[in-house]
Amino acid sequence: MLCGLASLEEIYRTEHGAVLQCSNKNCYWLEFAGDCTPFKVADFLNFRKQVADIAVDELLYAPASSADLTILMPFRSQRCFVLTVTEVLRLKELLQGAKFMMELPGVIKDCLKVSSLLSC
Amino acid sequence: MAPTAPLVINYLSMKDLLRLKTSLNEEIENILNEQVKVEAHSSAIYLAMSSWCDDQGFDFSAGYFAKQADEERHHMLKLFNYINDRGGKAISPEIVNVPKDFESFRSVFELALEQEMHVTAQFNTIAEKCFKVKDFVTFQFIQWFLAEQIEEEYVARRILEMFDVIGEEGTGRWEIDKHVPKVTYNAE
Ligand SMILES: [Fe+2]
Ligand SMILES: [Fe+2]
Repeated sequence: MLCGLASLEEIYRTEHGAVLQCSNKNCYWLEFAGDCTPFKVADFLNFRKQVADIAVDELLYAPASSADLTILMPFRSQRCFVLTVTEVLRLKELLQGAKFMMELPGVIKDCLKVSSLLSC
Repeated sequence: MAPTAPLVINYLSMKDLLRLKTSLNEEIENILNEQVKVEAHSSAIYLAMSSWCDDQGFDFSAGYFAKQADEERHHMLKLFNYINDRGGKAISPEIVNVPKDFESFRSVFELALEQEMHVTAQFNTIAEKCFKVKDFVTFQFIQWFLAEQIEEEYVARRILEMFDVIGEEGTGRWEIDKHVPKVTYNAE
């Protein structure tokens, strides 16, 4: 996927990364840890679920040193995420916020529709 | 700092990729996928009951539970296809905790009724969630299941009553087994 940088619209940004949208190619871009990765919508949703399901407390209590790093290799993506616990937390926060901002316009529009119907 | 008005309008006029992809709210998708799992579990339990009945010589009940197992798989697929048809992602479930043995002929039917009551409770919760997020399309979709549960519970309960009406002594269980497939529900 190649998107003109100018066509990217920001959905959500934190100190540590951002989620952007390309309305030409209908995809999302994840800017995180110095890299920018495109995702098709369904792939992004799956990836978000995968990250949300990471149990951070288990990572912290697991004695094995392999638990210090979480490796995520999303399908149909060149990117491999090797994340420390701190990065997992940052990514969770970013994706959670992005999810909210993705859903919000639809919710607002529904409310506006309802209120304009009521005012007729 | 609060976003300025043009920024907000810009944001609202962005293409809504999420809704282009799926009409299902994530919470609804999750709870439907959970129900896929419950129906698959029901199917597996009924199949186990069928095997047990067969082993114990209750031929008619074995056939009855095999048919129930088929029906539950059909329920599962109905939900499964709906999730995909609405743009969600149906998940083929992992089935665990399938019993192999049962205490008695009667206890099999008691368990069956409990399972059906559990399913009814699940659909009530789904209906409630649909209302909460105003997803009346899914609410309409699950009406079929809610109506189906009336029949499922009725039949299970009626069969259970035969254990008292006919009695288990002597040839009682043989008689009960013979009558199991004849129990039907007539809403009229
Ligand atoms: Fe069912
Ligand atoms: Fe059932």
